[in-house]
Amino acid sequence: MRAGSGTEACALEVKDLVKVYPGRTPVTAVDGVTMQVERGEVVGLLGANGAGKTTIIKIICGLLLPTGGSAKVFGVPCHHRSASRHVSAVLEGSRNVYWRLSVRENLAFFAGLQGMSPRESRARIEELIAFFGLTEKRSAVANKLSQGMKQKLAVACALVRGTELVLLDEPTLGLDVETSHELRGLIAELARSQRRTVLLSSHNMGVVEAVCARVLILARGKVITDDHVDQLLNGFRTRGYRLVLQGELADPVASALQERFSMRQLSSTDHRAELEVEIAPGHDFFELVDLLRGSGVEVDSVSRAEPNLEEVFLRIVRGGKA
Amino acid sequence: MNTYLWSFWAILRRQAIELKRYAFNTLSSLVTIYVVFLLLFLGARFVAGGEAVFGDTLEGLIVGFTMWTFALVAYSDVSWAVMREAQQGMLEQLYMSPTGFRWVAISLAVSSFVVSFAFVAPIMGLMMVTTGRYLRLDLPSLLPLLALTLAAVYGIGLAVAGLALVFKRIQAAFQILQFVFVAFLFAPAEPLWAKALPLTWGTELIGRVVVGGTRLAEIPGVDLLLLAANGAFWLGLGILAFGLCERAARRRGLLGHY
Repeated sequence: MRAGSGTEACALEVKDLVKVYPGRTPVTAVDGVTMQVERGEVVGLLGANGAGKTTIIKIICGLLLPTGGSAKVFGVPCHHRSASRHVSAVLEGSRNVYWRLSVRENLAFFAGLQGMSPRESRARIEELIAFFGLTEKRSAVANKLSQGMKQKLAVACALVRGTELVLLDEPTLGLDVETSHELRGLIAELARSQRRTVLLSSHNMGVVEAVCARVLILARGKVITDDHVDQLLNGFRTRGYRLVLQGELADPVASALQERFSMRQLSSTDHRAELEVEIAPGHDFFELVDLLRGSGVEVDSVSRAEPNLEEVFLRIVRGGKA
Repeated sequence: MNTYLWSFWAILRRQAIELKRYAFNTLSSLVTIYVVFLLLFLGARFVAGGEAVFGDTLEGLIVGFTMWTFALVAYSDVSWAVMREAQQGMLEQLYMSPTGFRWVAISLAVSSFVVSFAFVAPIMGLMMVTTGRYLRLDLPSLLPLLALTLAAVYGIGLAVAGLALVFKRIQAAFQILQFVFVAFLFAPAEPLWAKALPLTWGTELIGRVVVGGTRLAEIPGVDLLLLAANGAFWLGLGILAFGLCERAARRRGLLGHY
């Protein structure tokens, strides 16, 4: 499956990209990756640690030279200095902000570093401070900010340049659930309202599902799936149901459920069981109801089991579907 | 062009803010420099009964020490700045500047030099008051000579910065080089080979201005050409070495690690 075809107005074009880290034992981090990202698209890179996400992002930033293949932003090869006019990034593992400077001073520094005059950048800086909810902390030194605020500041510093392509490498890593949700909402809102092209890498499925329209799944340096998130979820949507039962599930009934409805037990106590079943073609929901009615257990609740990106990801990388 | 100027301005402003915010650090560095000079001066007077042992005269000591301070500032501005940015995890962000990292490194060095100059100048004044010897500070003659002399040091700084990108843990070599500069400063300038050394020939010409009262226009053209060639050679070598190391770091993925 491959989405995002066509080269016209292409924000990012990666072709047969290979990166081998030299050394006594050379490591192939990226192995023939090809992808395109159109202007205004918000694309997620999903993969386990070591899948090649950060390496791809660093090649696009011009921080790494590829061993083979090419990467271009708006038609400019990424290793050329002029490519950096189009790209800004928040990189995992980097601090991304100066801890001794205040929120406002950091934003002013990064705007200036890109060649913006203080007059040009003033309004933009104020807008970003307000957008990321940093108004009260505008004069606080970055070192004194919470981890979440530092991360928001890092994203704001990347956005202050106004580049069309924004790369976010694990932007919610290390954040608590609440801040992570807040930041992903802000990123999604920014991408939508400002029509920025965003390439976001994460191993947090929730972030990618909430922010990205399209996702590339990487494993061992290769793209194994490239599709729109909703299409991917649809592709894995089954006639699955989640049931909560009161009473003890007898072994023959459990075996029958397993055999006919691919039952998966989610949790079980003495008098309560939560399970997931899938109604295969040729069977219908009433067969399931009849089986349970005859077993003596009470059906407490039934809900449709919708696949989430995490399940889809696991099925793909484990070879369920490619 | 504006892109380059605003980028330089942003770096200069950042350094000024950091120096101001950490004023105690800045002040203690200045006090250290002065105390080292005082120890040298008093020690030399004690040992040699009033005669300076560094250089031929007491003025020589002031010129030599000031040049050493300038050399250290210039050298560490480039090499230490790159190491510090790498340690702070900010090198990659600086690399993504549209002006290119070389411009950023030069801006870091020049802005740091401008900021440092404001501090070195009063120390030089204090040294003159302490020793009771006053140098002739003919700035129009002095500044071009200083710039050409320090160009060589910037070149060495760039080469060391490049090596730091690839080899990381080179602080020890970095510190040793600071003392090698002392040897360059006080090496005899007359032999032809000495004119190829960084700092040696420039310090000799600066000495002629501040001690002997010679003006820039009175210095023979050949002597100035030799200094210009020396500065260009070391700076060019530094730029070349930095470029090679930078490429190796980008190939091996070393920019983000320290």
